[in-house]
Amino acid sequence: MNRDYLQDALQTFNGGNWYGWKTHDDNGNKIPNDQRMCYECIEVIKDGATIPSEADVNAKIQELKDAEADAIAKKASGKQKLKDLGLDDDEIKALTGA
Amino acid sequence: MAITRIITPAVTDANVTLAKLSATGTKSSSTFLRGDNTFAGAGITEADQWRLTANLAGNNFITSNLERSDTYGAGYIGTGMSQSSGVFTFPSTGIWKVEFNPNYRLNGDTRVIEAKIYTTPDNSTYNVAAFANTFIQQTESNETAASTYLQINFDVTNTSNDKVKFYSEYTNQSTLMKGSTSGNWTTMTFTRLGDT
Repeated sequence: MNRDYLQDALQTFNGGNWYGWKTHDDNGNKIPNDQRMCYECIEVIKDGATIPSEADVNAKIQELKDAEADAIAKKASGKQKLKDLGLDDDEIKALTGA
Repeated sequence: MAITRIITPAVTDANVTLAKLSATGTKSSSTFLRGDNTFAGAGITEADQWRLTANLAGNNFITSNLERSDTYGAGYIGTGMSQSSGVFTFPSTGIWKVEFNPNYRLNGDTRVIEAKIYTTPDNSTYNVAAFANTFIQQTESNETAASTYLQINFDVTNTSNDKVKFYSEYTNQSTLMKGSTSGNWTTMTFTRLGDT
């Protein structure tokens, strides 16, 4: 199950809820449904909102991925520190739920 | 003298034309003749499904990013629903089953997620016709999912006045209602069950 990083990133701009997806290209051709959810198909639906640059969106996506990796790493390191203190796996699970 | 046998009348099936039937109701290719000599609608005449096409965050009515489900074999029966700014209009009167099945994601906790179906009898005053609750407690330090389901049977007596719209609210405003153009995450399903 993959996280939708693009939409998670887009929500952080313009106060959120500002975008939709183009259904047709500039020539009036229908864009297939499974090809609409991309940077090129972003459509502004909120007054005053502007489309952030692709670089800014990609930077936000990377930020979200880094935060996710950091949380996983902290969880592992925290568990190891508890083990180093002498707790066994059952005791750690009772304390942290994981 | 006692009758000892009955002779089948010499009337072929082809000679019993529809014009000779006295049944009431609308005689057409989509009706059938019931035992009470009435022509009635056959089966489901309207079934439609719409979906949210982009994520929606925070307490909000769904007012945009809606489309009829149209991928991977999706279809509909009848005229289908129409909508403007998230307010759905029914194509005909009748008892309609309205279903709302939102999916949620949050990278954190939200104590309450409350989804609602609003209906109006006058195209103005809306009432909450259905509620459903769920919550998200973050699991594995990552984005965590939830969904819920609401359903009403709505008596549509006037298609200009009887309408529905959909809402969701949260204790954590970062909660996302999931939307997609390529598959169904958050859906609204409309089925006409019968006459009003």
